[in-house]
Amino acid sequence: MASNKKYWKSVEELNENSAIVDTLKHNEFPEEIPMDMFLGDKKTLEASSTTRRDFLKYVGFTTAAVTLASCEGPVVKSIPYIIKPNDIIPGVAEYYATTIADGFDFANVLVKVREGRPIKIEPNKEANGATNARVQASVLSLYDSLRLKGPKANGAEISWNEADQQIIAKLNEVKAAGLPIAVLTGTSASPSTKKLIAKLNETFENVAHVEYDAVSESAALDAFELMYSTRALPDYNLEKAEVIVSIGADFLGNWQGGGFESRYSKGRIPTNGKMSRHIQFESNMSLSGANADKRIMVKPSEQNQTLIKLYQAVVNGVVPTEATPLNVAIQNAAAQLKTAGSKGVVLTGIQDKNAQILALAINKALNSEVLEVSTTKNIRKGNDADVAQLITDMNEGKIGAVIIYNSNPVYTLPNASAFVEGLKKVKLSVAFSMQDNETANAVQYTLATPHYLESWGDVEIKKGQYSLIQPTIKTLFNTRQFQDSLLAWTGSTATYYDFLKETWNVEILGGKSWNQALHDGVFTSDAAQSGAISLEVDVETAATELEAVKGSDLELELYVKIGLGDGQMANNPWLQEFPDPITRTSWDNYLTMSKADAVALGAVNNYVANGALNGSLVELTVNGVSEILPVFIQPGQAKGSLGLALGYGRKQGMKAEMQTGKNAYKFYKDFNNFQPNVTLKLAAGEHEFACVQLQNTLMGRGDIIKETTLETYNDTSIDPKHTWNKSPKVSLDHKEVEASSVDLWESFDRTVGHHFNLSIDLNTCTGCGACVIACHAENNVPVVGKDEIRRSRDMHWLRIDRYYSHEENFAGDNEVKDNGKGAMGFKKAMDALEDPSENPSVSFQPVMCQHCNHAPCETVCPVAATSHGRQGQNQMAYNRCVGTRYCANNCPYKVRRFNWFEYPNNSKFDYNMNDDLGKMVLNPDVVVRSRGVMEKCSMCIQMTQATILKAKEEGRPVNTNEFETACSNACSAGAMVFGDINKQEDTVKSLAEDKRAYHLLEFIGTKPNVVYHVKVRNIQEA
Amino acid sequence: MSSHYEAPIRRPLIDGDKSYHDISVDVAAPVEGKAIKLWWIAFSIALTAFLWGIGCIVYTIGTGIGVWGLNKTVGWAWDITNFVWWVGIGHAGTLISAVLLLFRQKWRMGINRSAEAMTIFSVIQAGLFPVIHMGRVWNAHFVLPLPNQFGTLWTNFNSPLLWDVFAISTYLSVSLVFWWTGLLPDFAMLRDRAIRPFQKKIYGLLSFGWTGRAKDWQRFEEVSLVLAGLATPLVLSVHTIVSFDFATSVIPGWHTTIFPPYFVAGAVFSGFAMVNTLLIIMRKVSNLEAYITEQHIELMNIVIMITGSIVGCAYITELFIAWYSGVEYEQYAFLNRATGPYWWAYLFMMSCNVFSPQFMWFKRLRTSITFSFIISIVVNIGMWFERFVIIVTSLHRDYLPSSWTMFSPTFVDIGIFIGTIGFFFVLFLLYARTFPVIAQAEVKSILKASGEKYKKLRDGNHE
Repeated sequence: MASNKKYWKSVEELNENSAIVDTLKHNEFPEEIPMDMFLGDKKTLEASSTTRRDFLKYVGFTTAAVTLASCEGPVVKSIPYIIKPNDIIPGVAEYYATTIADGFDFANVLVKVREGRPIKIEPNKEANGATNARVQASVLSLYDSLRLKGPKANGAEISWNEADQQIIAKLNEVKAAGLPIAVLTGTSASPSTKKLIAKLNETFENVAHVEYDAVSESAALDAFELMYSTRALPDYNLEKAEVIVSIGADFLGNWQGGGFESRYSKGRIPTNGKMSRHIQFESNMSLSGANADKRIMVKPSEQNQTLIKLYQAVVNGVVPTEATPLNVAIQNAAAQLKTAGSKGVVLTGIQDKNAQILALAINKALNSEVLEVSTTKNIRKGNDADVAQLITDMNEGKIGAVIIYNSNPVYTLPNASAFVEGLKKVKLSVAFSMQDNETANAVQYTLATPHYLESWGDVEIKKGQYSLIQPTIKTLFNTRQFQDSLLAWTGSTATYYDFLKETWNVEILGGKSWNQALHDGVFTSDAAQSGAISLEVDVETAATELEAVKGSDLELELYVKIGLGDGQMANNPWLQEFPDPITRTSWDNYLTMSKADAVALGAVNNYVANGALNGSLVELTVNGVSEILPVFIQPGQAKGSLGLALGYGRKQGMKAEMQTGKNAYKFYKDFNNFQPNVTLKLAAGEHEFACVQLQNTLMGRGDIIKETTLETYNDTSIDPKHTWNKSPKVSLDHKEVEASSVDLWESFDRTVGHHFNLSIDLNTCTGCGACVIACHAENNVPVVGKDEIRRSRDMHWLRIDRYYSHEENFAGDNEVKDNGKGAMGFKKAMDALEDPSENPSVSFQPVMCQHCNHAPCETVCPVAATSHGRQGQNQMAYNRCVGTRYCANNCPYKVRRFNWFEYPNNSKFDYNMNDDLGKMVLNPDVVVRSRGVMEKCSMCIQMTQATILKAKEEGRPVNTNEFETACSNACSAGAMVFGDINKQEDTVKSLAEDKRAYHLLEFIGTKPNVVYHVKVRNIQEA
Repeated sequence: MSSHYEAPIRRPLIDGDKSYHDISVDVAAPVEGKAIKLWWIAFSIALTAFLWGIGCIVYTIGTGIGVWGLNKTVGWAWDITNFVWWVGIGHAGTLISAVLLLFRQKWRMGINRSAEAMTIFSVIQAGLFPVIHMGRVWNAHFVLPLPNQFGTLWTNFNSPLLWDVFAISTYLSVSLVFWWTGLLPDFAMLRDRAIRPFQKKIYGLLSFGWTGRAKDWQRFEEVSLVLAGLATPLVLSVHTIVSFDFATSVIPGWHTTIFPPYFVAGAVFSGFAMVNTLLIIMRKVSNLEAYITEQHIELMNIVIMITGSIVGCAYITELFIAWYSGVEYEQYAFLNRATGPYWWAYLFMMSCNVFSPQFMWFKRLRTSITFSFIISIVVNIGMWFERFVIIVTSLHRDYLPSSWTMFSPTFVDIGIFIGTIGFFFVLFLLYARTFPVIAQAEVKSILKASGEKYKKLRDGNHE
């Protein structure tokens, strides 16, 4: 309703005929405005400070200002918690214990979750969990943008209900036809999954469970079954070992599922004058061989003979007649094994049941304490014979349905085409897969499964040691677990979680708390352990059979890389960019070849103008299967042998950049990594490698990696400071003084507060590279791709340098250098030292920012973007950096990394930082660097500060050894120890003062906060 | 006429039968006349190169430093090589005009104008590189000590790169002022001769109202002397500070106390070579052979020979000290420099810088215009390689062999370098057409003493 209120302005208005009111009504301005006077008065007008021009300026300015103010500011999309979940505090990380069990890697891990996003995998140390590079990187596979996002039937999307109905109908058809249903899985080691498959058998009858490992350990399993009646893998407690003889077993790599390095490393620290002696007979240069005290190059076929001779020498005391170098080495190994007795162990990687029997027999004869036969491991279960039989049956039409889970046989089988043909002959083929891979595209139904970080599950890694898998994030896509599907198909309405919990409560926990087990991630059963039953095996026959295995002039040994493993994580850019610890080459597999063989063939490795490595191409033919492969000349490769890594060459469900290398599984005939009868032909063209280390030798620079022998180390009569751990000297006022005592700068009191040091023991570092990936994940290090790696622009904050010796060992290199007298002699020595030996000694050295107390980078930055922290850290202020790269030039350790391009949100770098999903892995505590700034290791300042804050909040001092960095956390070998040297109890304090401790390039006077420990080698023969 | 007396043994500095008016006409001729075809061709080429360089710079800034050939080990290569090379070239001008002024070397008068112009133009090129080599050029002002809202956020006065900022900017400004001061009477001459009003107006502005009163001349002389005094230490300081970029570092091959004198000698060396390159062409094209005589070229060749030999000594000293130090890293750095993968660059450097100037011991060669021109080009190639050798061969193989790698330039690296050469010549060619390229006022002051005609007259009288 409109208002008719009248507002009175004055009393005058009461009088209706008031003249005043009338006048005012018609005249807005009662007083005359002196317009003319003002405008007419030129003088006043000119005196006014606001001229016409000023007026226009003001108008202009205000218009512009108003226009600008009306512009929309940048919109940051963020969703506030209207109702905050109870357990999520923004900025505070949550940790969940879970387990990775992808069929290749099995480990108890902790998952760091920030605001509901899992961002990092850490070892669950309370559960003896150890992580390797792949486990560390597995979190990124969760955010793989090419994951299967829902169920499909013949390539078309379908709903879960429809899929279930159709599959159940078909399964019933198969059941009616009386045909078997094959469930083909990778090793799952899951008690409840096993139960579910049994349940499937109850429902549909005739269900056969075939377990299949892409990289087979069938021979070892069969041998152990023959000797100890259980089809499992024995465990080896290498901590107890005094003598380790390995014949082709890369136990620091992926042999029998790996995970031996932590106990191996414990035996490698010289304590009480003792450390283990490690002898390796092998053909490819493996991580284990690189760490060995003595490494003997032996072709794959000769490895068989070596093992037989070793057996004869140890068990029967037979001495080989001929005194060839190999025989002498075998004799020495045998003698040392005998001396060590129960502290000796023999491992072998020969994929032959007889070889595995021999190795077990030697250990049995030695009465080895290292071999643990009662606590067997379940992490490899694959049975080659079953798989071969399945393929035959499929092709003969004897199989009604194939259900594939946790396996990619179409890619990994050597006879994949036969398998694909077989798939066409079955009534129903179903693949449970996370990726749209080869197998997913070859079956009728592709059912999307969640990542292990989105799943429930359980694993019995070791007998009696149960682990739980729990989801750390809600499923990202329309996925369903294999186990849930089985439940649905068997008519159960329960979820897998219910099923799992019930199974555990009934069968495993024995009345203990489920919540506690879930919290811990592991549960060790008290149930009585049955001792292993030792059976009598005819070892002599095994030896005779093994001896009959024929070799050839050129033999191929297939191996598995530390980075890519069996290839299931090939779409993981962190792993693709991870430089192989031995070859330091990323984004590729290649044919490793000895120099002698390469020369004979005419194959070369050469460097192009920008330093990048190129290699000849050859055509490899084995059993009629051919492939063009690049040649990588590998020092330490046994003459007459070739190495080739499995796990590469995947094409489907992969980004174009990730489709690297060639599939070597097609050479993996009979699941044997040893393939004789190889022919090689030089092919046209060159291959471009992405190798991050182009100089392979140490050039006689023995002060970079200091080494000594156990004998010298044990000799208390010599002073390490003047012998094997020489401290550099400089001249001050014509007197020789220790370099570290001379200082250009005013000293600074570092005893107050925290002072961080990182200790790296070169004895225990195996070079596995778990720390490299951990650093990648923690610090949002960008992936730059193959081309940029070729331009020497890798971004790794932490790298593991690998050096080969030119002589037999590094001491020999130093001699060569010292003997190079005069200009020409020096030149000759240096030229010679550039080439590695045929069978070199190998050293690994992790190098990251050394956090020098007198940092050369800090003085040269014109804008003071890098400066020293109160706690010893050398810090980068990214916002301040203008990118002159002066700091990187002046860094003697070359650890600074420049952002040559904009790596995130750049389609040229289509890795995880280029899509929204991939970016979920980023650590919110660490800024993502923009183009044009320098970056480097921060000693995980975000972690140390978080530790300090946590202690402060809890009102306590920081606990002993509470400080950690991503690398020290990931190091299962215990080589990297981080801590506060102002805290007496911290381990790092004593390590920094150890007699083996030294600083890298100490003579420059940089005073680093990273301490290395002299590598001690146990070179004593017999 | 006693002040004009010059020993008869001295050769004339102005050839031919020149009068004061002739000088004015000769100097003004390129400005007042029409550009010849050759100029247009040269200018077009230079402009094209310049535009191409701008394109490469824009591409770099738009995409990232990654478009260059640098890597994690070699963080500087062509960028800083070009920077030092251009700064070095920029040394001759100030040396000629300031140091030779203080030493009363009259032969400088024929060449100082162009030498200084060259200095300024090359310092402009040099100044480009420290800016564009930054990963984040848009924050380049961070290197200036500007007051800011962060209070204590200041530049790092320990950094030689910051000293560079001051050294180069000081050098550029002092050189510019010095140059302009000298230009005033000459601009005034052009103004007075100009017929077209526009030209008159422009030169009037440029000459700052020079009237030619006695007071003007007196002040002119005083200012010149003061500026010469100021500029002389700069000749030494600029390249000393540039050399600190390397000398104060810890990298073997950079960490050398010999660098300051060695760099200054090298700079004078390359600067004189560039002056020769430019003037040998200009005297011909602009008909200035009477003022830039064979003797001028010869004298400059002698300076080239001496500085080249100093540089050679420095090279040898470096090798000796590396050996004498007993430090294996140092020894390897120099072994690698001479015989490593970049041996060809070292060979270029040695033969161009140490070997080629030795020809100047022969009078016939150092008075040969063609030969001088060839050597001047060779020396500048050599000096470019010297900087490349110092920067790249020291970096690419330093302490830890694991990081050793190689450097190879991309088309952008090359494009930017060519672009700066183009930019330099664009400026120089414009200068040659619009500026009095010879300090005619000064030259006139020695006409009676050192002019050929007057010398003959006088010498004749004595006979």
